[in-house]
Amino acid sequence: MIEKVKQTTSEKLLLALFIVLGLVAIYIFFILPQKCLFIKDYNPKVLSFEKPKNIVVLNIDCGNIIIELYPENSPKSVERFKMLISLGKYNGVAFHRVIKNVLVQSGDLEFGKKDNYNYLYIGTGKSGFGTLRSELNEKIEFVTGTVGMARTTNLDTEDSQFFILLQDAPLFKGEYTPIGKVIYGLEVLDTITDDRRREYVLRPDFINSFSLFEK
Amino acid sequence: MKFLFLTLLSICFFLPAKANTIFYLTKIPNLKVYHLKTSNDIKYLTAEKPFKVGIVQNNVQCGVASDEEVEKSFPIIKANFDKYEKNFLNKINLKYVVICKNLKVSDINTAGVPNHNVKTLIIDIGFDTNHFERSMHHELFHMVDDSFDNLFSKKEWEKFNTPLFKYAECSTCTNNLDLTLIKDTRGFLTEYSMSTASEDMAEIFSFLMTDKKRLSKIVMDDSIISKKISFLKNEILKIDENFKFD
Repeated sequence: MIEKVKQTTSEKLLLALFIVLGLVAIYIFFILPQKCLFIKDYNPKVLSFEKPKNIVVLNIDCGNIIIELYPENSPKSVERFKMLISLGKYNGVAFHRVIKNVLVQSGDLEFGKKDNYNYLYIGTGKSGFGTLRSELNEKIEFVTGTVGMARTTNLDTEDSQFFILLQDAPLFKGEYTPIGKVIYGLEVLDTITDDRRREYVLRPDFINSFSLFEK
Repeated sequence: MKFLFLTLLSICFFLPAKANTIFYLTKIPNLKVYHLKTSNDIKYLTAEKPFKVGIVQNNVQCGVASDEEVEKSFPIIKANFDKYEKNFLNKINLKYVVICKNLKVSDINTAGVPNHNVKTLIIDIGFDTNHFERSMHHELFHMVDDSFDNLFSKKEWEKFNTPLFKYAECSTCTNNLDLTLIKDTRGFLTEYSMSTASEDMAEIFSFLMTDKKRLSKIVMDDSIISKKISFLKNEILKIDENFKFD
């Protein structure tokens, strides 16, 4: 006759510990790296827009960011931005400057390309189309989601780089050129890799595609 | 335990401060917005935490002024900066006024630190209450001088003084630091005016903006001050012909 052996308390505790450790391991190795897990991906084709000609779609690993442009306020900058998008210039370009909960910056066409990333000069690259005059606007507020043209410390040095705000920046009004605003997918931007210690990211995320909206 | 504590402490110190969007404009960390809606477009900022800035060795440092202190002084600060029109401020590159306490440059207390390159003027809210209002105009003049140094020739200015008088090499190279109005002026309004030509100009400008009546009495007996005032007025009107003194 087989005698039933009861588990001791310490054995039960050990088993519980193994289960907890297993769950932690699953979380660390499988769930945590999935940064896109609970991020909603917006499909622009099922959405309706008031001014579809002003809509552009930025796609990164975790989904789409849908931006409405302001051609009325910043005609030259928006024209440049749309031209670069239509030429596919932003595809494969890094988000080289990411400050968590503050802003993300991309658009260095010279030194920020995936196949030609230059750590030394990143952020200083040019598009080859020349610089633009700043189109400052005293009416447009720089709030979370605002897309602006990046520049050097001097005005009239805008080119191809742009930033998207992750927090309100009232002081940017009248200082930077606003070119649009994220209308869907702001939470997707939170998944872009940042480096806690520095603004410039060592292993940045890249733009998969940036395209003009087509129904 | 002590080692662990020190390690944790050093990690906290050596991690860079988290920059916010204000930093990108002013290049000063730890600031927050205090007041934005002004007729001349000046943005008032306050220190959230003490900060250290400076091109060389972070030699400019300032502490936090309490909410009560800022609230008490702000109407005075705003009233004084409201004397300047937006157009003039744009020309001299002043957009941000940073309010903080115990402002020091290389460990020497100072009323203000102007930096026209980042359109910022830092002012010490705890500065000598007798001369606080005047000090704001004094510091603002340094922004004018820095932005238009070709207009405010120090050599021309020195010619107004008596031939034997010589300014010091720098404003802190002398003990002439008193900001009180001298009774018998003889070409200089305060002791501090005697330090450098630039400080002399800034002192006269500050009186022009705060105590024009007293100045008009002084010029009746002091021809040197009279010439200096005319020079300053002429040059400032070259920057902005609509500029109003006082």
